[in-house]
Amino acid sequence: MFEKILIANRGEIAVRIIRTCKRLGIATTAVYSDADSRSLHRQLADHAEYIGEAPARQSYLDGEKIIAAALASGCRAVHPGYGFLSESARFARALEAAGLAFIGPPAAAIALMGDKIASKELAAKAGVPVIPGHAEALKDLEEALAAAESIGYPVLLKPAAGGGGKGMRIVNRKDQMADALAASRQETEKAFGDSRIFMEKYIEQPRHIEIQIFADGHGEVVSLGERECSIQRRYQKIIEESPSPAVSEELRQRMGKAACDLARKAGYINAGTVEFVVDAGGGFYFLEMNTRLQVEHPVTELVTGLDLVELQLRIAAGEPLPFDQAGVKFRGWAMEARICAEDSERGFMPATGMITRYAEPRGKAIRVDSGVQTGSKIGVYYDSMLAKAISYGKDRETARIGLVEALNGYHIEGVVTNIDFVNSVLSHPKFADGDFSTDFIERYFETDRPSLPVDERNLKLSALAAALIYHVRKMAVRESVRPMVSRIGAGKNRRDSQRYFVRTENEEFEVLLEGSSTGRLWKIHVDKDKFAVETPEFEFYRRRLKLNIDGRIHRFRLRIEGSFFWIAFCGIIRYFEIYSPKEWDLLKHMPRRLELPPADELHCPMPGLVVDVPLKKGDRVFRGQNLVVLESMKMESGVASPVDAVIEDVLVTVGQAVETGDVLVRFKS
Amino acid sequence: MDAQYHATIENLERLRAESRVPAGEKKIEAQHGRGKLTARERIDLLLDDGTFEEFDALKTGRGGSLGDAHTYPGDGVVTGHGSIDGREVFIFSQDFTVIGGSLGEAHSQKICKVMDLAVKVGAPIIGLNDSGGARIQEGVDALAAYGEIFHRNVRASGVVPQISCIMGPCAGGAVYSPSITDFIFMVQESSYMFVTGPSVVKTVTHQEITSEDLGGARIHSQKSGVAHFTSPNDVLCLREIRRLINYLPSNNRQRAPILDLRDPADRNDPALDYLVPENPNQTYDMNVLIHSILDGAEFMEVQPGFARNIICGFGRLGGQTVGLVANQPAVLAGVLDTEASYKAGRFVRFCDAFNIPLVALVDVPGFMPGPDQEHGGIIRHGAKLLYAFTEATVPRISVIVRKAYGGAYLVMNSKHIHCDVNYAWPTAEIAVMGPKGAAEVIHRKEIRDARDPEAVLNEKMAQYRHTFANPFLAAQRGYIDDVIFPRDTRHRLIRTLQVLEGKEAEGPERKHGNIPL
Repeated sequence: MFEKILIANRGEIAVRIIRTCKRLGIATTAVYSDADSRSLHRQLADHAEYIGEAPARQSYLDGEKIIAAALASGCRAVHPGYGFLSESARFARALEAAGLAFIGPPAAAIALMGDKIASKELAAKAGVPVIPGHAEALKDLEEALAAAESIGYPVLLKPAAGGGGKGMRIVNRKDQMADALAASRQETEKAFGDSRIFMEKYIEQPRHIEIQIFADGHGEVVSLGERECSIQRRYQKIIEESPSPAVSEELRQRMGKAACDLARKAGYINAGTVEFVVDAGGGFYFLEMNTRLQVEHPVTELVTGLDLVELQLRIAAGEPLPFDQAGVKFRGWAMEARICAEDSERGFMPATGMITRYAEPRGKAIRVDSGVQTGSKIGVYYDSMLAKAISYGKDRETARIGLVEALNGYHIEGVVTNIDFVNSVLSHPKFADGDFSTDFIERYFETDRPSLPVDERNLKLSALAAALIYHVRKMAVRESVRPMVSRIGAGKNRRDSQRYFVRTENEEFEVLLEGSSTGRLWKIHVDKDKFAVETPEFEFYRRRLKLNIDGRIHRFRLRIEGSFFWIAFCGIIRYFEIYSPKEWDLLKHMPRRLELPPADELHCPMPGLVVDVPLKKGDRVFRGQNLVVLESMKMESGVASPVDAVIEDVLVTVGQAVETGDVLVRFKS
Repeated sequence: MDAQYHATIENLERLRAESRVPAGEKKIEAQHGRGKLTARERIDLLLDDGTFEEFDALKTGRGGSLGDAHTYPGDGVVTGHGSIDGREVFIFSQDFTVIGGSLGEAHSQKICKVMDLAVKVGAPIIGLNDSGGARIQEGVDALAAYGEIFHRNVRASGVVPQISCIMGPCAGGAVYSPSITDFIFMVQESSYMFVTGPSVVKTVTHQEITSEDLGGARIHSQKSGVAHFTSPNDVLCLREIRRLINYLPSNNRQRAPILDLRDPADRNDPALDYLVPENPNQTYDMNVLIHSILDGAEFMEVQPGFARNIICGFGRLGGQTVGLVANQPAVLAGVLDTEASYKAGRFVRFCDAFNIPLVALVDVPGFMPGPDQEHGGIIRHGAKLLYAFTEATVPRISVIVRKAYGGAYLVMNSKHIHCDVNYAWPTAEIAVMGPKGAAEVIHRKEIRDARDPEAVLNEKMAQYRHTFANPFLAAQRGYIDDVIFPRDTRHRLIRTLQVLEGKEAEGPERKHGNIPL
């Protein structure tokens, strides 16, 4: 086994690899850029090497610097994590040349699987089903139309290079082909400098299911079962689980065998993931093979009881797999949620800032893989994923509820995260039923209005929590000033029941609290429903509340913002306003006002770097036209004009860093 | 019981009933239609249930001298006292339904009566203003009536907290009573304040402007700095007044009530160790520090929309109310300009008058340069803040978070103007000016003559940074009492407030100082 390895990565995966190394007694070297000088992975490693400026190209993607760091710190091997250099055959070769072991597959296997065409051909040769498609890059529109005719609509246009869904287009009808092909070409050319486009059958209602395989250098290949990754948004996975509710034991065996056959054919060694698309009838087709550890590997670890990083290290060190296929046992269910710094209310724009409060959920059946801590700064340079929360249960529902409750108590302040969005997905009845395909998010969450009403009971519990906090805090004020108030002969003014009206933008509740201000047991009515609630000692500064409601523990996250109570619970986020009956009665005279932002300015929707400003003062622009192009978190996106107007002033230039809310352009009013 | 007694009681009840609806239900409907509550509804929401004791419900005016002899019980204002979370306050609430809430002799006498009593017993005065102005029908009597109120406002200033709430029109001379008081609340879109209204503006300057744009809540909370708090409607506004009252003592002889939010005094916050960016040109949000150190993260910011480069407001440390003055590096780098100096200066004087300890969180690169500021009188405005801090005898603590440069450092409650305890974070830079400016001044010739001026400048800057841009020189001199870990700031402040509780300070005998107003 290696004595010391370098981890060529950052964030949660670097931290996760360090953890296994510590357990195995392997020393670690972390690498860090300017942006990560105070980061968790740097602090946890035995040793850390500085590798350059914040942009990944000058640090985490610079293989030479990483190799130099490994040699300088006396490492024998390099673990690439995922992303960055993990699937670079060139980097794997360079390591070899420098006398360092790459903790991953052989360079040749990386190169082979990195080529979409070659890998597909290999799969076909190995007897693994592939999606029907056109074997060559499309020359022109004519060829595209002919190919589509023979495959049958709908078809998918897929660029040869890249990933993450860039350049992909679904074509449903003949007349859409020309536009789709042109757009796809343009996008992929711009992103990857390669305009080759392929075509394949588009599978409707598909599920994305992948098989984790491991191969050692002694000819053994095993499958560690499947992971269900169909819950995605724009091809980015959000929730993963193992096993999949759509995979029978028989299908598991067949998919596992196919994946192992492919790995053998490819001469594959170490951890790999074979991605399949599975149709409604249980047919599965090879998509691609990822030659690295996957983000979602923990769900496999929880159901198999294995440490995949440990296996990677052992295999890279030349050891054989310590078990064969018969030795792989599956137990229970695991589910993972990716926690990302992004604002789901604002089009999932990346969010930045400093984490001012951080508290992870804890519990026997909860695991959190995190790369952040209180004080961590989230910038625009890297992937927005901060952490992963993984739950385990004896069955799917237990795991699901465990994860929902974990996320209710996952407290991150200072940076907007998708925690509550993920929780609303987990709480969706269709998800709970296991009834979904890869279009789940688009179908249920990206429409203007959610297609299903929120869970009424959960909403009522949120209202109850808001009213209770309001009431208890009010009582605390009373108690505090009591010594200053004359009590002699004072009337009996201690009410043991108090009524409140609670409202949100669209909902109203009547809440009746019965209990005493000093006690901890309450009977609370919300409209017609009755709850028995036990409260802890209130600690308002925590901004987390744990209530025992009808015998079960519930966790709420909350903020007091003036007269409003922001509460997040089971994916439901509401601003509650709380009124006494007297206030409620008079409130009917109060107008409801909408705060409209001034329309003569274009505000920056996200932090990032200005890469293009295709306009100047005096230009006439139209609503929806992109006025400024920003790059953030590796993505370029345009900021569209909200109005038809004439440009009064352009306040940014190419290359400038901008923050959310900055004024980009001013319009003539 | 004799018949006469019965008749008297009946008469009393009739008068009382009349005083509750002095101008008829129609007028009340109209008031509601404008999105406003009535004078009595407001009092009912503001005070604890069943605690309002009314005075002068039966008092009437003498009738106008222009022939309108009709009088109304209460004369357009409801006055009395009641409690807010158990503590007594005095209140007057103008009734817009009675001759537009206009102010005449009797109306004024009622207000003056509660003000006199408030000063006598030491309880806050809250005025809910909703008045069309002076009652023209009463002529000079109406003007005299205003003068009586102004006089009492000034006499009560610094003795009991005075809070004005604008919940409708407040125009002409009427604006000067609220403007003398300590805090002004305004309701968005239903209140406005100006000395001369849109019609006069149009006649004199030919400018067309709406009441809202001339003197609405938005203008006064963001541009003029007249209003301290704004609320979306009457109900929420009255709640905010209750919230403010909870932070304040009832008078200048008492201390503010202690409120225990069960937030541990020794709670530390590791996030603060990372708050100040490594790059001195990067900003951060001072609110993170404020919310971290205060009990329960509860902070009532005063004038949040005005001069946002300085943050003023009330919070609690260990249950005790403190007045917080903090530079905001996220806005204009936290410089002191004319408006910030005025805003903070007035806030500091309020705290000093009412025994509220002051905590300054300092990150100030200096005074704002430029002809606008110089011609706008940054010298005399800056002097206000300097005077206010220096004069304050309440416990005064400062924490230098990052920059403390030049004169602005001295002004921001420094040891040199006798703050009681001055702490600094390890990130503090206490110097005459920033490294770049300093290097350019000290080594001007050397830099100019160098082959690579930029390299020399950078080298000199680094040198300067190493020597001065840290808290250690100041600590060696004793100007800084301790360099503290950011995460411990809350605990250190609470301990320091505890030890300063017994502070007594006597100034030289004088009538009063001459603050550069």
